[in-house]
This record gives sequence, C-alpha cells and structure tokens, in this order.
Amino acid sequence: MSTATYTAAGSLDEALAAIAAGARPVAGGTDLVVGARNGKAPLPESLVAIHRLSDLRGIGERDGGLVLGALATHADIVASQEICNRYTALADASAIVGSHATRSTGTIGGNVMNASPAMETGGPLICFDAVARLRSSGGEREVPLSELFAGPGRTTANADELLIEVALPAPSAGTGSCYARLEYRRQMEIAIVGATAVVTVDGAAVADARIAITALAPTIHRVPEAEAALNGSDGGADSVAAAANAAAAAAQPITDVRGSAEYRRAMAAVIARRAIATALARARGERFPIPASPALHGAVDGGAA
Amino acid sequence: MATAEKPFIRQDGKDKVTGLGRYTADLTMTGMLHAKFRYADHAHARVLRIDASKARALPGVFAVITHEDVPDVRYGAFVQDRRLFAKSTVRYEGELIAAVAAMSPEIAEQAAALIEVDYEPLPVVNDVEAALEAGAPLVHEGWADYSASEDVVREGNDCSRSTIVKGDADKGMAEADEVVKERYVADMSHAVPIEPHAIVAQWQGDKVTIWSSTQVPYMARIGVATTLEIPESHVRIVVPHLGGGFGGKCEFHYEAQIAALARAARRPVRLVFSRREEFVAPDHRREGQVLELETGVRTDGSIVSRRARVILDNGAYGADAPFFPQLAAMMAVGPYKVENVFVDASLAYTNHTPSGSVRAPTAPQACWAVEQHMDAVAAAIGMDPVEFRRRNIVRNGDEGPTRQVFEDIGAAATLEQAVEMIGYGKELPEDEAIGFAVGWWPSFGLASGAHIKINGDGSGTIITGAQECGTGAVMALPLLAAEILGMRPDDFSILYQDTDAAPFDSGASGSQTTFNNGRAVQRAAIDVREQLLDLAAEHLEANRDDLELCDGAVSVKGSPTKRVSIPELAEAAQGGTLLIGRGADAVPAMPECDASGCTGRLGMESFLAPTFITHAVRCKVDRETGVVRVLEVAAAHESGTVLNPIGANGQVEGGVVMGIGMALLEGSLIGDDGRQQNPHLLDYKLQTASDSPPIHIAWADTRTKEGAGGPNGSKGIGEPPCVPTAGAIGNAIAQVTGARVHQLPMTPARVWEATQR
Repeated sequence: MSTATYTAAGSLDEALAAIAAGARPVAGGTDLVVGARNGKAPLPESLVAIHRLSDLRGIGERDGGLVLGALATHADIVASQEICNRYTALADASAIVGSHATRSTGTIGGNVMNASPAMETGGPLICFDAVARLRSSGGEREVPLSELFAGPGRTTANADELLIEVALPAPSAGTGSCYARLEYRRQMEIAIVGATAVVTVDGAAVADARIAITALAPTIHRVPEAEAALNGSDGGADSVAAAANAAAAAAQPITDVRGSAEYRRAMAAVIARRAIATALARARGERFPIPASPALHGAVDGGAA
Repeated sequence: MATAEKPFIRQDGKDKVTGLGRYTADLTMTGMLHAKFRYADHAHARVLRIDASKARALPGVFAVITHEDVPDVRYGAFVQDRRLFAKSTVRYEGELIAAVAAMSPEIAEQAAALIEVDYEPLPVVNDVEAALEAGAPLVHEGWADYSASEDVVREGNDCSRSTIVKGDADKGMAEADEVVKERYVADMSHAVPIEPHAIVAQWQGDKVTIWSSTQVPYMARIGVATTLEIPESHVRIVVPHLGGGFGGKCEFHYEAQIAALARAARRPVRLVFSRREEFVAPDHRREGQVLELETGVRTDGSIVSRRARVILDNGAYGADAPFFPQLAAMMAVGPYKVENVFVDASLAYTNHTPSGSVRAPTAPQACWAVEQHMDAVAAAIGMDPVEFRRRNIVRNGDEGPTRQVFEDIGAAATLEQAVEMIGYGKELPEDEAIGFAVGWWPSFGLASGAHIKINGDGSGTIITGAQECGTGAVMALPLLAAEILGMRPDDFSILYQDTDAAPFDSGASGSQTTFNNGRAVQRAAIDVREQLLDLAAEHLEANRDDLELCDGAVSVKGSPTKRVSIPELAEAAQGGTLLIGRGADAVPAMPECDASGCTGRLGMESFLAPTFITHAVRCKVDRETGVVRVLEVAAAHESGTVLNPIGANGQVEGGVVMGIGMALLEGSLIGDDGRQQNPHLLDYKLQTASDSPPIHIAWADTRTKEGAGGPNGSKGIGEPPCVPTAGAIGNAIAQVTGARVHQLPMTPARVWEATQR
C-alpha cells in the first residue's frame, strides 16, 4: 500500500482538476484504505482528499425532497429526523453500515461509488428514485441510481466525474419503507441477504410498491414481479408472501463462505417478507424501531414487531 | 482475605486505554529493516528447487534466508517434527520457504514473490478420519525416525494417542436401560488476539535481543537457542505490552527466523503480521474435532457406561498438541460419576495449519458435544436435564474418570447457582429457552520464580518471570505481596517480561500465572518480611515474635506507638544489608489416580486443583433464519479462593463472550486444497460488544487445602470460563427448535438446516 501523491483539495474545482489529471477521490477512506490494508487492491498512485469541501457536506431540502451532500456520513443520515420519518428505509440501512466508527467516517458518496452489491443504502436509494449528480471539470449530469450501478465495484460514471450529491424526490403521502438484512451479528456485518420495500397505501389498498434485493445478484435491483404481486393488493399476509416469494425467485444467489445458494434463496423470501410487512406497518402509521434488522432477528433491546 | 476486599485498578490499564502503551509493532530502530515471509504455495508438496537469486538482486533487499542459512535442527515440544524453514517438503499453506529483509515492507513483499520454488504436489490430507485409515497418504513419511518424548504413543498420521479405561465399558453398556449414540463435529477455530504477531531482533556481537509479542518469553528463548544452536545466555527476550494472546502466542514463533534474518542482514529487523498471516501461519489454532459418543444409562438416571472415540485435527505439526488427546479424553467423560469408561482419542496429522494450545485446548468443543449428549441422554429416559446432571455430577469423595478422588470441590454448587441465577423453570416466550452445560478444567503446577526488593524509599519492586498477556494476572501480583508485607498494592512497581531480568516462568499459558508465580511472589514476600522483622527487632529493641507488619510499618503487638515504618527500615538497610527476597515454591504434587489401563499418559491422568463450571444461557432462536441471540448468561464457577474479584469476573466475562463466538460463528472453512477459506475478520466473525449479553457471575465458596492449589487456596481461572458456554447454547437451541445441531459453530445456516430436516 503506497501512494505517490496525496493532495487535500481546498475547492471543488481543485478536486475536479486533480481527478481529471488521474487522481482518485477519497473522503472517509473506509473502503479504499481498509481495502488496501487487507490486500484487496493497492491504494491508487494519486489521491485527492475531498473531506475539506464543506459544500459537499450536509443534508438539505429541495423541491419538497432532500439532497444528501456526497460527504454526508451514515451517522448524519441516521441523525436526520427528516430521513427517519420520510425515508425510513435509508435510515434503517445507514444505521447498520459497518461499525460505529465506519458510520461516523464513511460517506454516502463513497458508499454509492464503491458500488458493492452488498451495500446497505443501495436498495433504499434505488427505491426512493434517488438521482446522483456527477460533476467533472467539463460539466455536470444527473444519473438515476438505478442506472449508476454497473456491476460489483463498477458504476457508469466516467473516470473524471465526482459524485457531488444524491437527490431524493418527495415520497407520496401514505408511504412507509423498510430495509432489512440477514445479519449474523449486530455490528461489523455485511449483508448476506438484504431487501428493501417502499410502499404507499391508499386506504386499505397498496397504491404503489417498490421492492429491491441486495447481495443476491451482481447489482442491487428492483424486482418488478414482486412489486406487481403487491400493487393494488390489500397488503395482507398472502399478498406480502407472494411478493416476497417473487423477490426470492428473482435472486441469483451464489454459494460461498457466507452461505449456500439454497440458504440465501430461502432467506431472500424471509427477509423480503419482513421488509415488506414492516414497510406496510410503517405506512399505516405503526411505530417500528430504526434500524429494523436487529428487532426482526429478535434482539432484546430493539423492541418487538 | 485482605486481597479480595476492594476493587483493584491494574497498573498497565491507563497506558492501554489511552494509547500510550507501546507494543512490539510500535518499536523502531535506526537502520531497521522489514521482514516478509515467502509461504508455501501448496498445502502438501515436495520442494524440488528454491532459487532466491532474483529476490536477492532486488534493490533495497538486504538478506534472504532459507533452510540453507540456519542449522538443520528439528524442533517441537513433544515430537521434533518441524524445521524453521521447509527443506524438502511443505505440509501446510503457512509453512515458511524463506524470509526476506528489506528497506520497506513493500520491497520485502515484492522480493518474497520473486523467489522461485519448484514443487511436486502431494495428496492433501484434508480429513481427520481418512487420515487415520490404513493406506492414507502420510503427512510425515519419516515420522518413525523423529525424536520424541517416549510417552507419546504414535503411529503414521496418528501423532499422539491416549486412552482412558475404567471398569468394563462393553459390560456396562449391556447393563444399561437405554443407550444413546451420537456424533459431533467441531470446525477449526482460532485465538484471534487483537494484536497480530510482531517481532524485532537486534544483534550486538554474538548476542541477540528479541522483542516479541509472545506469551511465553522463556519458551521463546529456549526455542531460539535450540534452533540457532547458540547458548540461552546469548538470547534475551523482551516483551513490550502484549495485545492479547488466548494461547495463539504460546510456544516459540518466528523469534529464531527473525534473529537469523537480522544476523544475515547485519541490521535490526522487524516482522509485523497481517491478519491473514495471523490466521494461517502460527501453529496455535483450536483443533477441529470429531467425537463419537455413546452412553449407557439406567432409568434412574445413573450413568453406567461411556464410550467415546475422539479424533483431533493436529494439522501439519505437533507443536504442543500431543497432550491434547489425553485432555480431550478427560473432557469426553466430564465431571460426572461414570461407572465404566472407554475413551480412545487420537491426534491426526493433516495438511492444515497446526493446532496448539488455545484457551482450554480441546475443552470447549468436547464439552459442547458431551453436554449436548447429556441432554440427549436425559431426554431418552425422560428426565429433566438439570435433574440428570444433579444425579451424576461429582461431589466430594466421588471418583473421576481415572479414579482420582475429589476433595474440597464445588461442582454441584455451581450447578445450583446457575439454576438460581438464570431462573430455571420460569415462563418464557415460545422462541426462547434455557440451556445448561457443566465443564471442568485442571490447574497446571509449574516451576516459577520471583524476587522482591524493598527500595531505599520503602517502596517495593516485584521482579517476576511471569508474562502479562492481558488477563491482569501479573498486574495483580502486588496484592499478594502487599498482604504479606502490610503494604499497599500501589507501593509496588513490577519489572516483568524480560528473560535477562527475572527468574524462569512458563509464561501466560495454562491459567498458571497467579497459580504458580503468585506462590513465588508470596515466598519472596515472606523472605523480605523475615528480613524486615529482623531489622525492626533490632531497631525497636523488641522481641521479634512480638512484632507485626501492617499499615506500612512494623509495630509491637498491643503497643501501636512502638513502631518503625518500612521507609525508615529501608533507609537503614540501604546502609547495611539490602532487603531482597527470593521466591520459588515447590510444584504441587499431582493428585493420585489409577491410570493403569490407560495409554498415552502425558501428565493429564489426574487434574490438579480442578475447577468446575456451570453455564446457563437463555437464548432466542429465529426459527425462520436460524439466527440465535444469547439474551442472558449465568456463569457459576468453582475456582477455590477468589483473590481479585474484578480480575476474576473479567476473565469470566471475556471467556463467556469467546464461548458465544465459538458457539455461533467462529470457525474456519477449509477448501479441498487444504487452505483456510475465511482467514480474515469479515468472514471469520467474532462477537462484538453489541452481541454481548448480560452475564451474571457467581463463585462457589470452596477452599483448596494448603499445598494442593494456588496462593491462598486459589485455582487457575484464565481458561475455564470459555469451556461450557457453547454446550449450553447448543442445548438452548435444541430446546427451542427440537432439532440438535451437530456441527460447531452452530451458524444460522446450520441451525436452519437442522430445523429443515
């Protein structure tokens, strides 16, 4: 692990110029530096640190929705009452990323651009129709998150582009959401199976449903069959189960040291069902602790469903 | 008991929690080079050619050494089966081919990769049972020619075999009302100290100083002297703060290779392991086990016979594991009255990372199997599992597996304390249950020494060979000295972890520090006390027999004003005869037993000052996912006298959390190529603070007779706390799901699979 040049950018333009010259951006460093230490990939030859760019920090409102600066940390996200209330699945996800240290250092920008198929925040961002704003010294463009992820560790961003913010449009009234993952332990965990549900209820019926699966395919993606099974239904146990089974059927699980394909597929149905049921409960105004995952696995201090 | 009265804050605590403490990896020296090893590229292969010329030619490389650069010496605690560097055969993935010293770790790593090695791959011995079958490929073709302790019974891939024979197990089985037969498999696991191995070696003339993250500095010194063929007096081992060990840093690890490398490079050299190396290379991980257990029981709950076959995964080299089969055999019976016993335990060579002592070697896995088996036997006769244990647990006057008669023990008391603390029998939600397990573990009596000097200002210094591995055992030694000398623990400094400074000690292993070095410190304190009393008698012109030491002074009993303070005496001694105490206590005799029918007797046929433990756990099982949460643990221990409650409770808390980790998540997965598949902390999952449940602790009130135990009638406490936790969790899981998990760790997937059957 060795880097030839390291600069801490004082302005966004300085950072973009460095990136255009071949430098890789680093913010919290929780993926880049830890990965290099573990021999995953050497540190890039040239690094530009963006942690001093205060414009990229913070969470603000825009057009009724929210804007997350690229430097917003997971801890910032969990601390936002707005996110906990209106984008609950994102709070569920950010609250269980890595450890306390990871959450206070790691940023949403780094998390998104690292493009891990197991990233916690990916499912919620896709289901909330999040849009990434990418800027280079040549200009700026917006890319929906659903089009940003290209494969494990790969995005459709160009090498000279820096993610500067993630915008979340306003959810409809009557929306509830949940991100749940299978977790073997309470901290320092990586998703083995994850599911997101964002549902909007209109009276007794489900008016809109978005369901995504995590760590079950090369990229995090929504499952239209699962959404169709829930859309227009009464949101009862049968339709929730049908949607969850459809989500599991769309999985392409693998067998590795974290679990067998058979176990992962079975868990996909369980976790999807729990995420959907919890999202529906929240849409109907029921309180459910954030993050949802520990409570869904029977933690003592997380409250019961 | 003065020492037990108030909480005691350890001297090294502040340095460690504030980051001031210096560990081996923190050391730097002028001109220091960085070491990297070249490891074997196969788990089993003949080495045809090693060519390091390209590595040596790389700019920044100062030395590359292989087997050709060190004496051709085989070493090993019981069986001398390994060399510092591979010569003609590699037998596991962490075997060393060469060591490189270079200006930076990056250059060293690059050079290590440039070493060319030609191999002829050999069949990988990957399965412990297949390893012992006739015609299996041999891990050590030349095993018969190795030198070894003559008590080790060995044959081919069976590195060490021990049996326990008591009565007639076959006849007993025939008399039983019910016979229950089960099979359990435990995966390999690890000690996982937070600090990976680190070593710095520096030569001055023909003498070498080695700073090492070792639990056993004197063993390291012997290892260096033996393998480099230099006198022990030329080797000094110093241990900076040690970042945990749990057994993983016992024995002799890499001190000789780094010393040889520093000699070849003519510079100080530092080695710092990565986490991956820490998993793969050292010969000290917890052995995998296969246990076949058969128990014959009468309907009244008495156990008439136990038969067991235990196979331990030794890995490629014996290390200190050859006495494990005998330990595992004792564990396979447990602390119960069993009329007839036949246990056959083997240590099978495989092409895995070698096993060695990790906190209570063999016990947590064997206890996990045996205690689940005890529940299964209780179920077979329709008896409550606690009641079944109550009827069979050993009490004073009962006999152990080798007819050792127990005296002054509190095994049954721990069972009742655990029942009480966990509230056994209370109403629980349908996805929760309580499980119990009972375990035992010996204390180890070993030679150990200490000095105490009283300085000119009246303060004391304890100079001890004992090694502080994080348990606080060395830090608590002042309690024992202070009690005898009427001083405060804070009055003492401690000089430790330097083989040139202090007398011999076996190191932070076998729960032995307080047990043995504590007695040595007491002896040294008594020696100083006598000197102080002599001096005070002269000073006070009083009869020596009328004097007592308390509150930092010597005074005449009944006339508290007639006194002289220790600082005054110390000042006087500074102009006369210095106050220096020496301490070395006799090693306690092993309890009598009858092991006449047993083979492979390596010192574990009876248990010195045995400790007894009952753990009760309340678990919640998510039936749909197999995820188990431990909600509450009640840990009741009999450890003789408790000297330092804060330290003893800390050992229990840490041991229980380690036990939970072993129960639920910690295990190595081995590929067909004999390599570990998850040698990193993301997929070898330790418990985190958030996973740790409330732990209720109780100590059974017993006293060990003078001379049969540790200081003030205490017993070892470092290892026992991790012994029964996994078994208790296994029983709780089975209570909730109705399905027993027969493989350790009991991961969510395995719990789920068991419920699907």
